[in-house]
This record gives sequence, C-alpha cells and structure tokens, in this order.
Amino acid sequence: MEFLTTFVNGLSLGGIYAMIALGYTMVYGIAKMLNFAHGDIIMVGGYTVHTVLPFLAILLSGVYNPTVAIISSIIAIIAAMVFCMMLGIVVEKVAYKPLRGASPLAVLITAIGVSYLLQSLAQMIFGSAPKHVNIKALDFGILKIGGLAIGYNTIITLVCSILVMIALSLFVKFSKTGRAMVAVSEDKGAAQLMGINVNRIIMITFAIGSALAALASVFFLLKAPTMTPTFGSLPGIKAFTAAVIGGIGSIPGAMIGGILLGVIECFAQAVPAISPYTDAIEFSILIILLLVKPSGLLGKMRREKV
Amino acid sequence: MKKTICKILAVLMCFAMVGAAFVGCKKSDDVIKIGLTGPLTGGASIYGIAVKNSAQLAVDEINEAGGLNGIKFELDMRDDEHKPENVENLYTALVEDGMQVSLGTVTTKPGLEFKNLSKEDNIFFLTPSATGDAVPEFSNGYQMCFADSNQGTAAAEFFNDNYEGKKIGIFYKADDEYSTGITKNFKDALDASFSADLKEANFTGEASTFDSQIQTLKDCEVVFMPIYYTPASQFMTQATKVENKIVTYYGCDGFDGIDAIEGFDITTIPQEISMLSHFNSTAKEGPAADFIKKYNDKYDEEKEPLNQFGAAAYDCVYAIYEALKVAVENGEEVDADTSASDMCEILKKVFNSDTFEFRGITGKCEGDEKSHISWSEDGTVVKEAIKYIVKEKNA
Amino acid sequence: MKKFTSLKNYISYIVIGLVTVICVILSLSGVLKASTAILLEEIAIKIMLAVSLSLVVGFLGELSLGHAGFMCVGAYLGGKVAYVLTQQLGEDDPILNIVILVIALVVGGICAGICGFLIGLPALRLRGDYLAITTLAFGEIVRTIFLNTSEESFGGPIGLPTPRFNKEWFYVICFIMVLITLFVIQNLIRSKHGRAIKAIRDNEIAARATGINVTRYKLIGFILSAVFAGLAGVLYSYTKFNVSSQIFDYNYSIEILVIVVLGGMGNIGGSIISAVLVTFLNRELANILTGNLAVLKDIIYAVILIGIVIYRNAPGLKNFREKYNLKKLFSKKKKTAEVTSDTVAKEEN
Repeated sequence: MEFLTTFVNGLSLGGIYAMIALGYTMVYGIAKMLNFAHGDIIMVGGYTVHTVLPFLAILLSGVYNPTVAIISSIIAIIAAMVFCMMLGIVVEKVAYKPLRGASPLAVLITAIGVSYLLQSLAQMIFGSAPKHVNIKALDFGILKIGGLAIGYNTIITLVCSILVMIALSLFVKFSKTGRAMVAVSEDKGAAQLMGINVNRIIMITFAIGSALAALASVFFLLKAPTMTPTFGSLPGIKAFTAAVIGGIGSIPGAMIGGILLGVIECFAQAVPAISPYTDAIEFSILIILLLVKPSGLLGKMRREKV
Repeated sequence: MKKTICKILAVLMCFAMVGAAFVGCKKSDDVIKIGLTGPLTGGASIYGIAVKNSAQLAVDEINEAGGLNGIKFELDMRDDEHKPENVENLYTALVEDGMQVSLGTVTTKPGLEFKNLSKEDNIFFLTPSATGDAVPEFSNGYQMCFADSNQGTAAAEFFNDNYEGKKIGIFYKADDEYSTGITKNFKDALDASFSADLKEANFTGEASTFDSQIQTLKDCEVVFMPIYYTPASQFMTQATKVENKIVTYYGCDGFDGIDAIEGFDITTIPQEISMLSHFNSTAKEGPAADFIKKYNDKYDEEKEPLNQFGAAAYDCVYAIYEALKVAVENGEEVDADTSASDMCEILKKVFNSDTFEFRGITGKCEGDEKSHISWSEDGTVVKEAIKYIVKEKNA
Repeated sequence: MKKFTSLKNYISYIVIGLVTVICVILSLSGVLKASTAILLEEIAIKIMLAVSLSLVVGFLGELSLGHAGFMCVGAYLGGKVAYVLTQQLGEDDPILNIVILVIALVVGGICAGICGFLIGLPALRLRGDYLAITTLAFGEIVRTIFLNTSEESFGGPIGLPTPRFNKEWFYVICFIMVLITLFVIQNLIRSKHGRAIKAIRDNEIAARATGINVTRYKLIGFILSAVFAGLAGVLYSYTKFNVSSQIFDYNYSIEILVIVVLGGMGNIGGSIISAVLVTFLNRELANILTGNLAVLKDIIYAVILIGIVIYRNAPGLKNFREKYNLKKLFSKKKKTAEVTSDTVAKEEN
C-alpha cells in the first residue's frame, strides 16, 4: 500500500513537472533556446495569484459563498496566466528578439540575466519573507479508495497536465498556427519564405509557454503553498531535466519525462538513507538515459549532413 | 574633436573604476564602528534583514541616549548572500573601513570563515545567530544564540522527560549543518528506549514537496524538526492533507517566525506546535513584547518581519555597549580611536569576568524583568531557554 | 609586421606579468591593501576558470554547464590532501608549504582530469544542448555527493577545513598558475592540435573527412579544461579556511560561462579582460551597495549583463556597433572606416 501511495504522489508531482516541461519544450523546439528564465516565470505566476486573490476577496466580499470562491480562484489563475503571457512576450521582445540570428549562447546569457532580474525585482517588490498562498477554494479534500488516500488535487493535477498535453498536440498538429510552429522549428528561413511570420510565431510560443508556467505554479502552490522569490528555480531545473529526458521539442516526451522524474523523486525520498542523494540519482538516470538514447526518449534524431 | 572627447571620457572611466577600488566608505570620526556580514539578498535574506533592522534599532536607541559617554556607534552591514566565499572580501573591506568590533555573521557557514579571519586580526565578535558549535572556537568569538549541540541535547532531555513511550520521528535537512548538527546531538542524548522506534526522514536543498517524507513519519506521535520555518510550514500544510497520527511538532529556534508567515493560518494545522528557543516572538507582554512593538513601529512587518535572529542582534549590540560601559567604569580607556585588537582584549576581559551579567530580551524573562545572560569562557552563552507552545493542539 | 604579431601573441603574458610585478612591488612597499590582494586572488582564479572553459566552449564548440563540478573535485581532493599533509608535517616552514601546495595541485589536477575524461566520453555521442545538460548533471552529482559525505571524510554539510595560504602573498602563486594555464592552452591552440580542435568546432564531419581524430581531440579538450578547472579549485581551497560544495552549483558554472561569453567566443584575451571586469564589478557592487541597497546589486548586474550581450551580439545593432566602437576609438586616425569594420566582422566570426 505504501508503495502505491508513493507512486500516486510521484504521479502528481510528475504532473506538475510535466506541465512546466511542456512549456519548456515548446519554447526550445521553436525558438531553439534554453530559457533559463522559465522557472522565474513560475515564480511570477505564484506572486500574481498571491496579489490578485485578496483583491478579489475584497471585491466580492458581499456575495461570498463557496461557488463564488471557486470562481474567484479561477479568475486569479486566469489573471496569473494572462500576466505571465504578457511578461513572456515582453521578455521575448526585449531580451531575446534583438538576438535572433546571433549565437545561441548569447541568448542563453540574456535568459540568465532575465532570471536574475525577475528574482531581484520580486524581492524588491514583495520582500524576501516567505508567503503562504492559500487557495482554499480549490482544496477539495481527500478521496479514499480502500487503504489508499489520494488528494483530489492530485487527480486534478494529473488530469489537467494530460489535457494540456493533448490540447497542445492537437493544436500543433491541426491548427494553422500550430503547423506554422512546426515549420518554424524545422527551418526558420524556409518558413519565412513560405510567408510565415516567424517573429509572431515565436512570440505566440513564448506566450503559451509562459501561460503554462503560470498554470503549473498554481498546481505547485496547491501542493506546497509557501513561496519565496527564488522558489521557481528548482521546479524550473527539474522541468528542464524532464524535457531533456523526454527529448527536447517533443510534447508527449515532456509529459513522460516529467512523470518519470516525479515518480523517481518520490521513491528516492521515501528511503531516508538515499533521500539526500535524490538529485544525484535523478541526474544519474538522466546521464545514463542520454548515453543509451542520445536525444531523449522521444526526441528526433537529426542526421548531420555536410 | 568629438572623438577626442570620447577618448578622454573612456580613459577617465577606467581611472574612475580603478579609483573606486581604493575608496570605500571610510569610518566617520568619533564613532565606534560595528561591522557584520549577513545575507541581505537571496534565499536566506529574511534572517539578514531582520538582523540589520534590529541592530540598527539598538544602535539608534543607544545613540539617542547619548552613546557611550558621548561616543556614538555606527553599524556597517555587508551582504554575504549566505555564501562563505564572499566573507573574506567583505571582512577585509570592513577592517579597512575601520571596524572596531563585530557581530560576526548571521549564519553559520560564513561564520566559519569569519572566525578564522577575525582570529588573525584579533577582532572581537558576538554573533547573534551563527549557531555552529565551531563558531566561538577561538577566544575572540562569542555567541548570543544557543550552540547546535546545546539545542540538540536540550531538546533530547525534554523528550526523555516528557514523551516517554511515544513514537518519535525526526525530520531534518540533510545538507544543512544547522539541521544535521542538532539532529546528531539530539540522537546521541536521546534515551535508548526511543531508539528502537525512531523514524527518520530528510530532505535537501530547496525541496518543498514532502509527500514521501510524510508517509515515512505518519505513524509518529511527536515529530522533532530541527529545520527552518519555511520548509516546516510546508511539511505541516502537506501533512494535513493525509491521515497521520502526529500530535506534536517540536522545533528549535529555526521554527521562530512560523506563525508570522504572511497568509499562513496556523490554526489550520491541527497539531500542537512547540519550540525550544531563546526568544518568544509571539510574546504579548514583558521586555520581548516591548521590543517587538518597537520593531514593528519602525519597519514594515510584512516585508521585513522580525524573528529571533533580529532579537538576538538587538541584544548583541546592547551587550557590547554594556560591556564597554563596564570597561570604562573599570578605568579602561575606550574611544573612537581604540584599535580593534585593544577593543577585543577589553571586551574579552569583561565578557569572561564572573561578575558581568547582561540583561536582555532573549532568554527567559520573568514578567517585566529582563533575562539574565552571561558567557562562559569558551564563548557560548549561558541563559535560560524558553520552551513555548506556538499553537495548542486543536480540540 | 612579423615582429608585431609575435609581440601580439605574448601580450597577455606581458600584461599579466607586469601587473604581478607591479603588485609585488606595491606589496613590498606596503601600499597594497589586503582587500586588493584578495581581489587579485579571486581574479586569478576566475581567469583560470574562464580560460579553461573557453577551451571547451569557445574552441571545441561544446556547451559545458558543469565547470564548477571539476573545480569542486579539485577543491575537495586537493584541499583534503593539503589539509592532511599540513596536519602531519606542520605549517611553519614556507618551503614545505609550497611543496604541499604543489602536491595538492597535482592531485587535484589529476582527479579533475579523470572526471573530464569521464565527461568527455558522452560528449562523443551527445550533441549541443543534450551535452550541456549532461555536464550540468555531472556538476550537480559531484556537488551532492560531496555534500553528503561523513564529517570525518570530507566534512559533509559543514564543509572541508583547508589550509589558508598567507593572504598577502598568495595572489603571486595564483598569477603564476594563470601564466602556466595561458602558456599551455595558448600553445595548444596555436599548434596543429589547436587547428584540429577549431576544425571540429566549425564542421565535425568535414574535420573527420580530412583525417582528424575527432575522438582524441574532443577528449583532449575536455580533459585539459577539467585539469585547469581542478587546479583553480585547489587554489580556491587555499584561499578559504573551509570549503563547502554548496558553492559549486550550476549557478557558479553559469557565472564562468557568462565571463567566457562576454569576453567573446574563442577569444582568450577577451575572457581574461571580462574575468577581471566581472569580478571587479561584483566586488564593487557588494561593497558599495550595503544595507537596504543590497537588493539593487543583482538588478544592476542583470541589467548590465543583458545590455552588454545585446550590444555585442545583436545583428540589428551592427551599424551602431561599428559607429561607436572602442577599438575604432583608439585605433590610428589614418585607418579607413572599411578597415575597422573589417576587423569587427572578423571578430564576430
């Protein structure tokens, strides 16, 4: 039974990693850059929810009942997603777009700069004290099946991340913008010649990635509600690892990678003797996996031509 | 012509930059300069900021009251980001800018560098919150907080006396010297009767999801948590979401501030939360409460909340002030030009003397009386710890 | 003209040598402040790290995010050897101290080199960003393992106690090590091996077709880079009383990468200059922005970083760069604009 509980916990943590990794993998696949600031977008999402929720509570104080509470929480989530979307676009326009065509390393460095900037701005605005974001309305309690106790949020997280994955896959496969994204990721120059507005497509990608980060931050906060200005970097780097395990650029790959990482993490932490080495274990698995499959589980193997 | 101007400007810039290396903020005249380093940015900055504010509060109060026979004090705090590698730079700069006496560092790991550096120059330091056992190793180092070994042993004694026959668990941070230090001493001093059933769980780094650890500890009745309050609050909130038999959470001074996390409603945690500390930051009366009020009047409670680190820093400044006063009464000469090394000898003599007792706000205060604090020769503090219940068990 | 190029080849040695000599004179006359001596140590270590990373990133063309891991290996193993030897043999004899330092350097360098070999192996199979995350993973694994050792072996969370070299003079040793690093790496790059490495960077398949042993050169690049990072780690351990592996996280690797990128890819002189400037800037910001202003430090650093990278690399700013260029500012007036823009174009390649 304990095994099963740990497994379910791993799934829910993995669901969160997967959602962040989905954003990561989209941005990487299309803009071909490691967005180190992605983790900090998660942080901004968390702080937005934290700012908007009390404001809504005051606004709706007259008509406060459980349904209104749920609706206002959802409004806060949407607000966070919209805000992060705009932030993602601004960051892309200011820090990444001028460097299109320059060496990918230069973009990597500005991404790191943006990450520092967001963290220190958050510290300046909100202070470094931890904040507890209590989204009470979205806490639905525990579902008991036999001896197994699963939080409803665990299920919601998992279902949501799967839904997001399916939606993204469909979007990329069937919508016009999605097809354009694939084209841009294959060959920017050729896509431009076919009349695709590459800048616009990359902007949309950043918007989607950032919105997903904001959504993931809400699920993360439902699980672990206390946050500080630096709380995004750890899930950020874990999601990066997940995206690589799955094969960067592959949407189902990010999902599998995230889940795998979450489950491994939970099992490692369940044994006190090896729990301090959790990170080392995760990274070792990554290295071994990459040695066997050099472009991740579902990544495309690109043949190099002369 | 334009080009020449540009050239001159560029060269001037270079000179300005090199020049900047040789100018620091020099000590103003007629003050005794107290220097320290602590995290003002980054993850641990909440502790450093509380220390900075509280120490400044004490310095301002002392200066307003006339200082040490007219000699004012000045505080200079540098940001070490909780990284030991930054300490040497900052320390040397502080010494060059005229630091005469120090509060050491806010956290332990930078403190291990600081103690070695200050030993060479013989600079007196009284650290508010670097709890590591090795911090006051040399004769010039003193602590205002309890040392890790002290806290671990004291907690174990409490467990031996009060929780006999209960199932005990420990939740600690495996890569943190504060947490592992206390855990080790706690386990050493714990009665053998507990050992058979002792459950352990740990985490590292910035981890904040503790499902697996909660699973491990769910059958325990008392969980000892020698960790800081942010992960502790995460653990408690997440543990409410699964069935567990935990009755009491028991923490050390790192717990302090857990009830002040913005947005965290402590009553949603059904368990009892107790801690062993030297300062009660929920105090409603007595000297501690007076200090809390003074702090909150001056600083933004939400952005820069007070914790025991700050209270200890407040006491540190006053302890140094009182000790200097005693020294002056004993006929020692102390003024703004006293060298750091002379100052160190003077202060050491006072701190090591049997008669010196400081009345502060940390440690156990009886009613309106301030607490009794003194120091043993090895630099550790002697005062009475307070075991207090942050939150009663929900009915 | 030939004389001029040969002088240009040695300019970095000359400048660093001169700076060292000037500092030694200042030290002897007692003018050099202790804080400046410490800054010099730090700068020297950063130069070593930047130059060695530049070999992998700039010349071999592989992105490495695990440089701090090699440094960690050097700092811990070299530091441990130094500590044990100092404990056994005493610390009073200066000559003995130097001997111990050399032994520590050798041990740290070799161990880091072995790790470099281990990381070089997957590098043969992995491409680009996949290799980057592998190196990042390696660095984190090393860090986590050292962090969880027992107190008796490597200190665990408290960190490893290490001997601290006399802080007034240690920078001289650091700069000697910088000169050695430069000598080895520059000579390698200017030799036929260096041209082979650059050929691999520019086009691996073409390089292989011309008979270059790609495996061998990639491994050489990784091992050498790791060895010098390890040496820098040993020096680092000598500048601290206590080494804790928490410092060597991926952020530290990124810090070094920032230095290399700011200095210009494949430009060793640039790496040196940017190592000096970045270290200096960080130090000054930390000293100037005390108290309430400390939070501005990271903001200023981040804005400067973004600004410089965009200014130096943005394709859209090419004309602007050519118009306002330091090189042009200090070049002789006779040179025509074409020549200057030509050098800029070369630099970009």
